[in-house]
Amino acid sequence: MELVVTRNFGRPESWTLASYREAGGYEALERVLKEMTPEEVTDLIKASDLTGRGGAFFPTGLKWEFVRKDPKTPRYVVVNADESEPGTYVNRLSLELDPHMTIEGMIIAAYASNAERGYFYIRGEYGLSHERVKAALREAYEAGYLGQGICGRSDFNLEVEFRRGAGAYIVGEETALFNSLEGKRGNPRFKPPFPTNFGVWGLPTAINNVETLAAAPAIVMNGAEWFKDLGIGDAAGTKMYCLSGNVVNPVCVELPLGVSAREVIMEHGGGVPEGRTLKGFKPGGASSAPLTPAELDAALEPKSMAALGTIMGTGGVVVFDDTTCMVDVAYRDALFFEDESCGFCIPCREGTPNLVQICERILHGQGTMDDLDLLEELGASMMASFCGLGHFAHQPVRGAVSRFRDEFEAYIRGRN
Amino acid sequence: MLNSPAIFQVNNRADARPYRMAIHHTELETPPGRQPLPEAERPKLETLREQLQPLKELPGSSIEALYAAQELFSYVPPEAITMIAEELNIPESQVFGVVTFYTMFSLEPQAPNVLRVCRDLSCHLAGAPKLIGALEDALGVRHGHNSPDGQFTLKVVSCLGLCDMQPAMLVNLDQHGPVMPDDVPDLLDGIRNGAG
Repeated sequence: MELVVTRNFGRPESWTLASYREAGGYEALERVLKEMTPEEVTDLIKASDLTGRGGAFFPTGLKWEFVRKDPKTPRYVVVNADESEPGTYVNRLSLELDPHMTIEGMIIAAYASNAERGYFYIRGEYGLSHERVKAALREAYEAGYLGQGICGRSDFNLEVEFRRGAGAYIVGEETALFNSLEGKRGNPRFKPPFPTNFGVWGLPTAINNVETLAAAPAIVMNGAEWFKDLGIGDAAGTKMYCLSGNVVNPVCVELPLGVSAREVIMEHGGGVPEGRTLKGFKPGGASSAPLTPAELDAALEPKSMAALGTIMGTGGVVVFDDTTCMVDVAYRDALFFEDESCGFCIPCREGTPNLVQICERILHGQGTMDDLDLLEELGASMMASFCGLGHFAHQPVRGAVSRFRDEFEAYIRGRN
Repeated sequence: MLNSPAIFQVNNRADARPYRMAIHHTELETPPGRQPLPEAERPKLETLREQLQPLKELPGSSIEALYAAQELFSYVPPEAITMIAEELNIPESQVFGVVTFYTMFSLEPQAPNVLRVCRDLSCHLAGAPKLIGALEDALGVRHGHNSPDGQFTLKVVSCLGLCDMQPAMLVNLDQHGPVMPDDVPDLLDGIRNGAG
């Protein structure tokens, strides 16, 4: 299997410009600037079916095209590295081990979307990533890949500013990230207008996840068909899947998008610890509803996950063995969202503590069967939330109830 | 409403605060939990003012400004909030809003070593509750507080993105994991001896 975004991870000092160049780094950028127009780049990315790896899976080429077609200037390109989804650490590895690949992708995105300014936004807790990315940006400036007249093209400039967050899950939401870049509280904004027309400072902005941008140089070098064929079935390209929870090897692996959960968990994660059995797993971080071992053969890609009533999310696979209590898992997730709700809209601000209270009640043996229906009702009303956090906060709890109902009922009947 | 006698009377009381267009909250009574800067630390405010000068050119840099204040004082004192608002020319309410929104900023003094322990799903399954308990026992404080020796602040936080090192924690910004409860004494000794 050919690796795309993790191919340089094993190289010595893989985070330096020298090492990245040795591995063929910035060749894609030079080819783009010499041989291609911005239109050709967006057409290529569109043809490759590259979609947003942050979890929304929006077509990347289309996004860049929307930004280019907006007449307002200056246009912006933003790297979203505010990875905070529980069970996810793929972006951290990319930033620590190969920051230049993301920077090269960012410059290609800027060229394709005709942007001249950029922000590299990393969450506040990623100390090592801050150092590596800051150093990489400095190197890229010195080598002439950033700044004025990039690679001798006097008509292409890109000024990139490094920014760090300070601890807020919601800032991973693109419009919240814009507010954070503008030095405000990270509350989300109303959409539409979408970021491609009204992004940071109200200007057209191409905002992409680290992994999405990192895939762009390889697509330029190897072509759209090559990338498309890497995926399984309809899914295009590869995805970094990362494992955690009750699994023997909590590792990150790059695999074709659409690989089965069985292959990820059993082959690469080594399954659950010896003497235990698999009880379930989450396909994409805390906000995805858990699945059962019967669904191990489902493809880890957006469409098949949606068909099962969960989400592909970030590719953070969390594994549960038979010692794990699913009511406790649901409670843990509810606590996370209660903590991370920004408090801006009522359905989410009031709904998340309600989820916690109901789970707490059940865990303490004071729940009733009506509570399980109440969770459904509460989830439906939380769909009125302002942003995705509220839309997804109830899914892990409701998902746990629908697939592991007997455990909830056992608590309610007092048999636990 | 504006001319209602009740309001008029209140404003004319002898102890009424003189009317001002803006009230800086350093002048208000400090609410509980909001700690003004000790006298000895005050000279550092000038250092902060110097550090804020380059940020004036950078729109939207309030987070960086607050980091600068927190590095100087270990927390964000009310005086720094006022100064950042003045220097960056943004409303004080906005600066205060930013401080309280982001979890990495503290309104209370912190110890030199801030321990952030992840409590979310993966680390939870890998034994974070036991790790938190061991740290609380070793430091003699509940999480959310400073240890009696003034060396550590123990915080329990949302996912740190270190799930491959579950259960994981940060010592300031240094990644540690997996940390088992038995590793806690050695880890703390290492930090005390400067190896952190």
